[in-house]
Amino acid sequence: MEELGKKTLQEPRIKFDNVSKVFETRSQEIVAVKDYSMEVLTGEFVSIIGPSGCGKSTLIRMLDGIIKPTYGAIYLDGIQVNEEGKMPKETLRKMGFIFQQPNLLPWYTVRENVALPLRIFGLSGQAWEKRVDELLELVGLTKSGQLFPYEISGGMLQRAGVIRAMVHDPEILLMDEPFGALDELTREQLNMELLEIWKETRKTIIFITHNVEEAVLLSSRIYIMGTQPGRLVSTVNIDLPRPRSLKMITQPEFISYKQKLTKLIGDLDLSKIK
Amino acid sequence: MTKKRIESFIAPIIMFLLIFTGWEIIVRALKIPKWLLPMPSQIFKSMIVNFPAFWPHILVTIETVLLGFIIAVPIGILLASLITSFKVVNAALSPYVTFLVMVPLISLVPLLMLFMGYGMNVRVVTVIIQSFAVVNMNACTGFNNVPIMRQELMQSLGASRLQSYRRVILPTAASDIFTGVRLAGIFATTGCISAEYVGGNMGLGSQIIKYSQFLKTTESFACIFYVTIVGLMMYWLISFAQKKIISWKI
Repeated sequence: MEELGKKTLQEPRIKFDNVSKVFETRSQEIVAVKDYSMEVLTGEFVSIIGPSGCGKSTLIRMLDGIIKPTYGAIYLDGIQVNEEGKMPKETLRKMGFIFQQPNLLPWYTVRENVALPLRIFGLSGQAWEKRVDELLELVGLTKSGQLFPYEISGGMLQRAGVIRAMVHDPEILLMDEPFGALDELTREQLNMELLEIWKETRKTIIFITHNVEEAVLLSSRIYIMGTQPGRLVSTVNIDLPRPRSLKMITQPEFISYKQKLTKLIGDLDLSKIK
Repeated sequence: MTKKRIESFIAPIIMFLLIFTGWEIIVRALKIPKWLLPMPSQIFKSMIVNFPAFWPHILVTIETVLLGFIIAVPIGILLASLITSFKVVNAALSPYVTFLVMVPLISLVPLLMLFMGYGMNVRVVTVIIQSFAVVNMNACTGFNNVPIMRQELMQSLGASRLQSYRRVILPTAASDIFTGVRLAGIFATTGCISAEYVGGNMGLGSQIIKYSQFLKTTESFACIFYVTIVGLMMYWLISFAQKKIISWKI
């Protein structure tokens, strides 16, 4: 833990340095992300917010080796990770990706789905299997472990999706609008559970969302992105006390953050119309 | 559920009885000669009485269909994996697979016989050609329709090609592959009969031709019914395998 602390002083855990992504279609070039820079320290919870099509999902996909950036560099623990070719497994193991949908495989039971990263990364043994069971218990899925995905509810499915991303003990969680497809109540509940997990494990989290309230409630810092091309517009630090709870959303400070962000995002839309 | 099951079981039986009773009545009433259209009762009788004579041919047909089918299915799936994984293979092979589907098989059989003679080989090869292409085309559809999010999951875990194939691509494509396999079961049977039609004196196809040439229409029909039974058997076998293998719901 102390060693990690020292490292933090020297370098950010994650660093985007003027990253751009250009997609080429048959007829035109689409600039999905333009000159994006960002630094995230160990244990931080940051959100990236922006309208759909601003390239926010592309950003974390570039970090996790799913998409290669066209220009710029991405660093993880000071090492550039966006070189040609497949990202090495040791690098990928540091990260866990949580998708918009649960994205469980229908031919595996819930437990098999959660344990999938262990099988791919080649992590075997009693300790890892025990970890699967502990995570299932953490989100209340112990009894559903032997069920198939179609047999459990949407909220339960997404919980399984979250713990699948954590099973190989990554230090970084990348979350792509993870609760966007769920109903409001389940979403709030899962947000609280996520804060609880973050508090206990101190993972570094990058959270993609288009929901202002959610972003303010969860994050230490929010990056606001604009569209056409996708770019960083401004950064807002959220200095609300921790631990946070749902009660806070009615407090004046919370509301003022929310208004500030809503205005920043609103101006974005207006400038686009002009 | 049970009511539905009874319905789906009873309905085809009633239909079967209706068709054959109607056929029987019409033939009797119009006094249609036996060599033109025999009565179902006569056909069923022939199926039983002449069974010893038919049996070796039934066996040959079953052997040919099964052997060809068992070779064709893996070839179709393997080729589809290669076609969907490597653009070069796709460009090189796809036109010829399409060609094999489109060309009337019956026009190829005489050529094949020229090369390979009248034996079992040529019939098995015909069955393979006729059935592998449908497996291939359906498997390609399945392999190409793997949801992007599932591919991204495997990428984010740094899965090897083989790991992705076994854990995501193959199971995702399974139901499409089975559509192809089921069609292949039908195509294998028809392909086999076509090959037996054209040459040789073994198999149900050759017997259908032989009996019709002698105007023994009843025996000819008996053989056609046995072909139907072979086809149905294939269909049930494949459905059974599908239920065993695809145990999950989407």
